[in-house]
Amino acid sequence: MKRIELIVIGAGPAGLSAAIEAAKTGMEVVVFDENAKPGGQLFKQIHKFFGSKEHRAKVRGYKIGQELLEEANKAGVNVILNATVIGIFENKEITVMAEDRIVHYKADYLIVATGASENMVPFEGWTLPGVIGAGAAQTLINLHGVKPGNKILMLGSGNVGLVVSYQLLQAGCEVVALVDAAKRVGGYGVHAAKVARCGVPFYLSHTIVKAEGEECVNKVTIAEVDESWHTISGTEKQFEVDTICMAVGLSPMSQLLKAAGCMMIEDNKRGGVVPKTDSYGQTSIKGIYASGDVSGIEEASSAMIEGRISGIAAAKDAGYLSETLFQEKVNSYHKAIDCLRQGMFAPENRGRTDLTSTEEGVLISQSLLTKGYVDETEIYRYPGVRTGIKGVHPVIECTQNIPCNPCQDACQRHCIKIGNSITSLPVVDETEICSGCGMCVAFCSGQAIFLVNEEYDENYATVTLPYEFLPLPKKGDQGKAFDRSGTEVCDAEVVEVRSAKVMDHTNLVTIKVSKDMAMKARFYKAIV
Amino acid sequence: MAKIIDRSISIGEFIPQPDDDLIICRCEEVTKGEIRRAVHDGMYTMTEIRRYLRTGMGLCQGQTCSKLVKGIVAKELGVPADQLEGGTSRAPVRPVEMKILANESEKEVSKHE
Amino acid sequence: MRIEEHPILGVPEKGKKVLFYFDGKPMEGYEGEPIAAALRAAGVLVHRHTMKQDKPRGIFCAIGRCTDCVMVVDGKPNIRTCVTPLTEGMKVQTQYGVSPK
Repeated sequence: MKRIELIVIGAGPAGLSAAIEAAKTGMEVVVFDENAKPGGQLFKQIHKFFGSKEHRAKVRGYKIGQELLEEANKAGVNVILNATVIGIFENKEITVMAEDRIVHYKADYLIVATGASENMVPFEGWTLPGVIGAGAAQTLINLHGVKPGNKILMLGSGNVGLVVSYQLLQAGCEVVALVDAAKRVGGYGVHAAKVARCGVPFYLSHTIVKAEGEECVNKVTIAEVDESWHTISGTEKQFEVDTICMAVGLSPMSQLLKAAGCMMIEDNKRGGVVPKTDSYGQTSIKGIYASGDVSGIEEASSAMIEGRISGIAAAKDAGYLSETLFQEKVNSYHKAIDCLRQGMFAPENRGRTDLTSTEEGVLISQSLLTKGYVDETEIYRYPGVRTGIKGVHPVIECTQNIPCNPCQDACQRHCIKIGNSITSLPVVDETEICSGCGMCVAFCSGQAIFLVNEEYDENYATVTLPYEFLPLPKKGDQGKAFDRSGTEVCDAEVVEVRSAKVMDHTNLVTIKVSKDMAMKARFYKAIV
Repeated sequence: MAKIIDRSISIGEFIPQPDDDLIICRCEEVTKGEIRRAVHDGMYTMTEIRRYLRTGMGLCQGQTCSKLVKGIVAKELGVPADQLEGGTSRAPVRPVEMKILANESEKEVSKHE
Repeated sequence: MRIEEHPILGVPEKGKKVLFYFDGKPMEGYEGEPIAAALRAAGVLVHRHTMKQDKPRGIFCAIGRCTDCVMVVDGKPNIRTCVTPLTEGMKVQTQYGVSPK
């Protein structure tokens, strides 16, 4: 039986990060992954990530995946694919299934980074072809270039449901409704807003009653639910669809750890059954670590840092890293991860419904939570939304405390201020003059920044929008402007379209609209 | 956390529900009604349910249904789901053909397989 | 159903075009893509009928976890089509219970 110093199970964001850190110290590292390609779910993440520079904010997930693979290659990490670890036994012995055989390995240290699997909810007709997980939709469109269907209903308003809905729109699908039994949108408001302004209706406090069809789904019925989650008769609505996507949460894939004998706990805030770990990810069994979603559902950005922490912890225990160097590194990683675990969506706030105002004391938009967009009457309360400024100026419709600050770095003129607390709402400083460069619009991972010129000429205003769809409008195109709710509000003429490598496919489309629409028009569609 | 279910508790009679025909375990095609009835037949733990009905013992090994089954059993017993011990996890954690499971090899797994 | 050009990812990278057979019918797909993706693009949604209730099933998780999309591939049943790459001339059959019709 071959002995290896460190075996990492899973080549996703956490596993690769762990392997990189350990390999860099000179430790012998092998990563096993059951899939044909490394990267876990990162290569399906085509949106720009949140956070700050050190968390690779404003970089799209799949590019972070590419960078991680390059880093792993450089560090000499040996990633073995199509190799499924099917068991962990005493003394860190593991069995690997590859091709047609089973091979035993003995590890000195073991890092389990097996990720998570999707939750599903049963309803009448849920086994029909066409009813799929949101992850399946993401896999088909972003990895294989195939649409799962044309008319889609999304169940679940968490970040996965919102992000995948947007990705479906980008792929050219129609999203007929976004449904959630909860009373409030679960994911980031900015993700919801970009879906809502495309015209997707949100049905909160609604659930799927049934899906119908002979050989595959062609109709779905939803209905409102009462306080005790029972459907209210008479509130049914029907949609013709060919696909229903479920995005109702993730569960840690912790079976290997449980089978290994690690002490497990059931923690709903972490998504289910997770191993008990210390601050380095070490489980109750010395030398077995868990990092990433398997030890609690979070974002990929946190998983990567968790992985790095486990990697250096194993390296230190094995004698490859001095105590001083280890402390230095671990402190900086702990700082980085603590930074991501702040704000309204911090793990400790998961499931909370009692938050009514931001850290700054601004009331949270109720329409955002129930309809997916900030209503006209509520938008002016936020410090990023200022009007009556001469010339072009940014309007930042960022209304919740999330750990993210690329907009501040984007602005060379210092018009945008977030300050030291990364979760603070961005503030537009009216005393600084905006150059109209549009970098803040392109860099905002939430696509929540618009450049507005309220006095373009006597009758018209211009609005510059982030635009990530095809076909890209051209200067001179005539179309319609839509408000935050996705309702058509007026005619619009495209006066400028800007694309640059640094914007990474977030194009800037400037539309000319009547003056009274400057603070309403937030999306553009060509006339077809 | 004590995860021993008190078998002396009375859970009352089995009362049919309109959605009893709902498939819960997709692989083995086990319905909600069958799971609820199994609890009334005396299957109070996830392991017992699994052996009695084969829930989670199909190809996917309970990947989709284990959380759902647990919720249904807990509700029937009138206990919070986290007080119910989950099914045992054991190798192999992925479906493996018997002929592969029996084919132990010394040949190391290489990068290019 | 294929995305010609994606606003972020550009034109999807594909292997060479290959011919395969679905229940004896010739179909086109791209080498190396999952069988399930090729079938979805060709308009096939039903992968199998279940053993007990004879109900249709198709893609569900698309990452090899749920095993709902299994079919008979080159005579072998229970093949997860969402993670099995398509090859030239492959024979893919709807699975009824655990066998082809």
